[in-house]
Amino acid sequence: MNQLIPAFDFHRVVIAPWTEGFAFSIWIVLMGVLVGTACGLVGNYLLLRRMALVGDAISHSILLGLIVAFLIFRHVDTPVMFAGALAAGLLTVAIIEFIHKQTRVKVDSAICIAFTSLFALGVTLVSLAESAGPVHIDADCVLYGEIALVPLEPPILWGQVALGPPSVLRMAVVTGVLIVGILCFYKELLITSFDPALAKSMGLKTGVWHYGLMTALSLVVVSAFESVGAILAVAMLIVPAMFAAQLSPCLPVRLVLTIGHAVISALLGYHLSIWLKCSAAGAMVVCGSLLFALAWAVTALRARRPVSTSEPESSGLQSAATLPG
Amino acid sequence: MTLPLSDVPLEVHDMSVAYHQKPVLYGIDLAVPAGNLIGIVGPNGAGKSTFIKAIMGLLPLSSGWVKVFGKPYAENCRRVGYVPQRESVDWDFPVNVMDVVLMGRYGRLRLGQRPSRQDHDVARECLEKVHMLPYAKRQIGNLSGGQQQRVFLARALAQESDLYLMDEPFVGVDAATESAIITLLRELKTRGKTVLVVHHDLSSARDYFDMLMLLNMRLVAFGPTPEVFTSEMLQTTYGGRLTILSEVVETLGGGTK
Amino acid sequence: MKARHPALLLLAAILLPQFAYAARISELTETGLAERAVRFFTLQDPSLRFALVGSILLGISCGLMGAFLVVRKLALMSDALSHAVLPGVALGFLWNMTKDPVAIFIGATVAGLLGAGLVQAIRNTTRQKEDAALGFVLASFFAVGVCLVTMIQNLPGGNKSGLDKFMFGQAAALGPGDVMLLGGVTILAVVIVLAFYKEFLVTSFDAAFAISVGIPARVFHYVLMVLLAFAIVSSLQAVGVVLVSAMLVIPAAAAYLLTDRLGMMLVLSAIFGVTTGAVGAFFSYVGRNLPTGPLMVLAATAVFLAALLLGPRHGVLSRWWRHRSRSARIGRENMLKVMYHVLEEEGFRGETVPLRDLAEARREAIEDVQVEMRSLRSHGLVTISGDGQAAVFTPDGWKRACEIVRNHRLWELYLTHAANYALDHVHEDADKIEHILGEDTVRLLEKRLNYAHRDPHGKLIPGLADIHSGGPARIHPAT
Repeated sequence: MNQLIPAFDFHRVVIAPWTEGFAFSIWIVLMGVLVGTACGLVGNYLLLRRMALVGDAISHSILLGLIVAFLIFRHVDTPVMFAGALAAGLLTVAIIEFIHKQTRVKVDSAICIAFTSLFALGVTLVSLAESAGPVHIDADCVLYGEIALVPLEPPILWGQVALGPPSVLRMAVVTGVLIVGILCFYKELLITSFDPALAKSMGLKTGVWHYGLMTALSLVVVSAFESVGAILAVAMLIVPAMFAAQLSPCLPVRLVLTIGHAVISALLGYHLSIWLKCSAAGAMVVCGSLLFALAWAVTALRARRPVSTSEPESSGLQSAATLPG
Repeated sequence: MTLPLSDVPLEVHDMSVAYHQKPVLYGIDLAVPAGNLIGIVGPNGAGKSTFIKAIMGLLPLSSGWVKVFGKPYAENCRRVGYVPQRESVDWDFPVNVMDVVLMGRYGRLRLGQRPSRQDHDVARECLEKVHMLPYAKRQIGNLSGGQQQRVFLARALAQESDLYLMDEPFVGVDAATESAIITLLRELKTRGKTVLVVHHDLSSARDYFDMLMLLNMRLVAFGPTPEVFTSEMLQTTYGGRLTILSEVVETLGGGTK
Repeated sequence: MKARHPALLLLAAILLPQFAYAARISELTETGLAERAVRFFTLQDPSLRFALVGSILLGISCGLMGAFLVVRKLALMSDALSHAVLPGVALGFLWNMTKDPVAIFIGATVAGLLGAGLVQAIRNTTRQKEDAALGFVLASFFAVGVCLVTMIQNLPGGNKSGLDKFMFGQAAALGPGDVMLLGGVTILAVVIVLAFYKEFLVTSFDAAFAISVGIPARVFHYVLMVLLAFAIVSSLQAVGVVLVSAMLVIPAAAAYLLTDRLGMMLVLSAIFGVTTGAVGAFFSYVGRNLPTGPLMVLAATAVFLAALLLGPRHGVLSRWWRHRSRSARIGRENMLKVMYHVLEEEGFRGETVPLRDLAEARREAIEDVQVEMRSLRSHGLVTISGDGQAAVFTPDGWKRACEIVRNHRLWELYLTHAANYALDHVHEDADKIEHILGEDTVRLLEKRLNYAHRDPHGKLIPGLADIHSGGPARIHPAT
């Protein structure tokens, strides 16, 4: 056990990464923050639409899109990657809808069938391609991701200045576009999520917004894929949004809380991974989950505390909430 | 009465609707005169909600067409306000009362445009009308059933439409809210608006509405309440005279599957 | 006997594949496949024997549990649980730094049940929705597992732990201990399902009713969850953490497409599970280093697709075929109806219908009418005369034409009289209904309409005598 959990050396765990390995640490943490932010923002809308597990499905099946795109074009650069991911994501949604609407199989089974099949095909293709020659995608990396490799990428140069590792820049662009998108289309996303019937009656194309969100989801997940892997990307989608939902009943506040969650869990997770010498992405998710547990505990305690007279507003709330209907 | 086409708030011609290939509405023909408070009445499963959803294109028609103020629905959707059933939305959703009422203004805003100060003013006014302004900042999950319904009503008012379609607004609300709603509906009527209300309670239907639409899979009767609210008509609506129709239509549904 | 029925079928489900195997072994060895395929089917490697038996056993236990998951809409629960066991696997390994099946089994089961409990706790104490709770348990447990596994890999000797095989599965790595465990779990699952079949049936269908008749639905739910955890955990070595849920759900969903009864669904699901397990093991063995899990899942997907396409009642092909033949029949009947109308216009003075008139009435090209006439002739409804320019009803064709016209007019009459339809709306509707009115409904309609003779447009409704007259000659002319 001693070997498993190294002694906590404050200097090694907390100080050294920033004094000695700053160039290394900054990119990993930045990547973690960006992944957590982008995934978390999309995840908020997934949760509101009760589609958390569709996010799970898409992040798995993207592997198939990546490997097929690689086998066709024989290289993996950003446009190819995005195209593959987009195709795989939309294919997953389409398969789920087909099975759900055209057969008697219910939607939960349909989700499970769609993504496990596509993922299995993806893993098999990766294994076959590996035996034929070097592949950019590695089956294990699919699961854990290799966020620690991010700082080792040859940086993108702008003139003579090294801007940063390409995957971080790509993630930054995707995150930026996502934030701008949410700011611009806040009201459309809100109404199609809250009351699709009303939205449709006002002439909004709910289908377009649905597929738009799925597109955003695919792009975010594929950009996060190499650093955190498929399953941890699911965690990044769901956990920050749940954390925010636990703390605030107000959507804009939730979106901001999501970003805060991303920053804190990325930082804590990075140091945890240095301490325990384990996967950084995994540690970030563990910290994120602990943050949720903390929020859960806080709200549970607050609910258990008897409503004091100093809060007439909330006592009114409770009696109103218990009315029939 | 002969009105120019564009003054007929709602015209429905030979509308049939099928749910999962099982017909629910069958050959509905209707022209609704303006400035009336109309109750849609019929037994459970008669297709009352389906009818108003189909008008707005939320459900595909299997035949027929709908015109709103003389144009297809999509071209005139701004002139229609909609109050869905209360259970149709997630009341844990992270929005407050004001946000919900503001949604009523969204139909008037361009893609990506934010609600203006004026929109906020309208929303506040509408909230005031249903006596919910003090609750503007409250999360919607913390409201009683009657309060939730008032918020939905305020949202419809904020749409500033000429034709309102309301799906069971009286379900699960307290007596005070019920009378508040009906006062509001009458006021809308005096302002020349047309209101269609899906209603399941026969006993109050007679007092609330000036016109009734009796529906059971097809339109049994439509007209002024005193003419339509007769035991014979109600017998036809709630009794089994249309059994062959429903049986045959059932096999039609089964056959296409 | 009825109650024993599923039991017998289950036994058959367990035994049949073995026989099928025996048959296929001889078949395939003769065709001279690659050497490894031969070795597979002759079962020369002891490790292979373990792999094959293990895959078959896991097919049974996963198939049975999966059937309940699918009908109870818990498919995503299995996905969450299968990911949630990873930290348990890692801790089980840490117990004495070997892949001791029992330690890993215990660790993983505990983790899985903890995960299930956590889902329940989140749902009970927060406003989070179920999908979020499932996703949370799936992802956060998996993350803990990932951390533990990467920590173990940093230990001396940890690199060769073989824990990575738990991700995608390697049937070849199954040892006797694993197979014993699989066997135990499978027997337990079969025995419990057989013993409590009716309880599982009623609690799955209507839990509230089950409780009202004194069956503790909650207890059976937990029994099912424990069995599910067992099935998942015992299958990990062969299928891997990531794809176990597919082995649970896909064979069961395929069975769901094929049958309408739970007993049969359990049997089919187990059969599909066994087949896909064995096929996955085969390809994994032949393909040397291919991971077993994905191959099994692909085999299961193939079975599901086959059920989707070929299923006798719900299959896409049979539905498409039924739809096609129906629209073809409607097309023929419409042509018969037009022929009747043409004759009626003439006051039934002749028997032959010129195709030219038909083409005019239908606003079609004469060539199209000729094509359709040939189809009518091949169905024995008309004969073609006058150098192929005119058609004559056969008695069968005349009968059907009369029936269609009668149905059409009766329906129009019914709609205008009983259902208050406007006269100008009934025609389109009758055009659809005329093809599907059964004789019973027609009798009912006639009675309701007091055996009326004329439709709302004043046209005659053909009666029984006309229908059986064999041809238009004896019909009284319309006045």
